[in-house]
Amino acid sequence: MELQLQMELVDGTAKILLGGKLDATNAPAFQEELKKLIGQDVTKIVFFSENLEYIASAGLRVMIFAKQRIGINAQVYLVGAQKPVLDVIKMSGLDTFMTIQETYNP
Amino acid sequence: MRRDIMAQKSYPAELDHLEQMLEFIDEFMVKLGWDRDMLFKIRLAAEEVLVNIIHYAYPEAPGKISIDCSTVKEGSRGVCIEIRDTGIPFNILEKPDPDISLPIEQRQIGGLGIFLTRQIMDDIRYARTKDENILQLVKNQ
Repeated sequence: MELQLQMELVDGTAKILLGGKLDATNAPAFQEELKKLIGQDVTKIVFFSENLEYIASAGLRVMIFAKQRIGINAQVYLVGAQKPVLDVIKMSGLDTFMTIQETYNP
Repeated sequence: MRRDIMAQKSYPAELDHLEQMLEFIDEFMVKLGWDRDMLFKIRLAAEEVLVNIIHYAYPEAPGKISIDCSTVKEGSRGVCIEIRDTGIPFNILEKPDPDISLPIEQRQIGGLGIFLTRQIMDDIRYARTKDENILQLVKNQ
């Protein structure tokens, strides 16, 4: 399955809708998309992950990149992630800089 | 090590074939009765190793990756996934783990993959023969 990706920026909140598989084959394209947000005064980065079935380290790296390059002071949310995805996020220590929520509540 | 079920295939070491390689491993795991949660984790562990080979093992000419799945002992669902390449010698186990306690500003983005692989698998073994890297990923239960 391919990665499904939708992105919009509204009032400083970058809403990123993820679905399918985020792996080494599509992470570079995802990172290119996120680069569009650099310099846009993003204060919140929200990954809507309800339909994300799989994430590999290449995808985790893009999430780290998002925080480091788009807005080091931006708040990052991970919303609606399924348990296996959440497990990987926790295993790699990314939960320390993300607000993890079942439904989006800014 | 006794092995009563086996499956073996080889693929071009290219990103375009990654999905096929992972599906091959998935199918084997399903036959042994592993659940969805573990299929996810094994896919993740295998992907990290395979992508590493695809990116670095054959810097000059195209190469191959062989995957050999087997059970660790009769009647067990314990699995050994052996991944072989004939690329440059590389022991993934020598890579240091990233410091995941660092604040996000200082987090290194490399090394995360093998770190996850180590956490998921029960055992990882590396050997180099004259012309092959042999990596075994073992999950017992």
